[in-house]
Amino acid sequence: MKKKEFIDELKDALEIEDEDLEITLETNLKDLEEYDSLSVLSIIAMIDKNFGKQISSADFAKVTTVSSLMDLIGKEYFE
Amino acid sequence: MNSAFGLSNKNIIITGASSGIGRECAITFSQLGANVILIGRNKERLNKTFNKLKKGNHLIISQDIAKYAKLEEIVNTAVDKIGKISGFVHSAGTEMTLPLRSMQPSYYEDIFAINVIAGFELARIVSKKKYLDKNGASFVFISSIMGILGQAGKVGYCSSKGALISGTKAMALELAKKNIRVNCVLPGVVETEMTDRMFENLSEDSKKAIVEMHPLGLGKPNDIAYACAYLLSDVARWVTGTNLVIDGGYSAQ
Repeated sequence: MKKKEFIDELKDALEIEDEDLEITLETNLKDLEEYDSLSVLSIIAMIDKNFGKQISSADFAKVTTVSSLMDLIGKEYFE
Repeated sequence: MNSAFGLSNKNIIITGASSGIGRECAITFSQLGANVILIGRNKERLNKTFNKLKKGNHLIISQDIAKYAKLEEIVNTAVDKIGKISGFVHSAGTEMTLPLRSMQPSYYEDIFAINVIAGFELARIVSKKKYLDKNGASFVFISSIMGILGQAGKVGYCSSKGALISGTKAMALELAKKNIRVNCVLPGVVETEMTDRMFENLSEDSKKAIVEMHPLGLGKPNDIAYACAYLLSDVARWVTGTNLVIDGGYSAQ
């Protein structure tokens, strides 16, 4: 998956509708207003759907930036 | 114990008997004198339940109940080997916590298949004269307090448990003439393998909040098994179409 597509999927999962809000690889997910315990479950479901990978909440708890989330999924999945 | 509360000479089918509330129901009913028919997917785990039963004429049937076409075979085998059915507890259930925005049709279908449709189908089959005890029967559906209260991220689960409650009422009216009583039990959060899995996905704060919502703390599987035993026993002969809430005070607030 292209990094740009992944960020779009992430915005969908977080229900970020503000087109102008820029999310980069360095954005810390926990700093986003939309980030909460339910949005974590949405992100985990999105990863399962797109990559077929089941991420536990315990592993997800270690995620900070978008880039660290991509590392958790596996760098090989991204172009 | 007063024998009126006992379950002697009753043959009871239990789905979800390989773990949690279903397993505890099987053990408790066997102690009260019932013969139990354990249904679940995993034979090994059903055997674990079986080994804890008080001696009786019990049976294991390992089958995925979402395969509806196999359900009549289950009941047929049970009646053939154990005898006509006087009780049925639908404890098989699956949980899902996911926000509405991430839900998909197939997720609802999977939840409803196990939590609702398989249970109603088994009730339909057991209600047939050829399978039913001549004295009638008692059906118990394990719903949830989530069947009458909501929680964020639980649209699928709550709606499936609510379907059990309304289905129970319709079924109770329809089956009264066959002397079949139909009731629901609505547990709060009970410490089972299913809730362990749910808790794995929650933060420490969320877990603490859930525990604190239960004034008497979290429930144990036998808190629910005893309620089911009551509904299956002859002392509950005038009880049908009702919801028995067993939730440690969760819904009193």
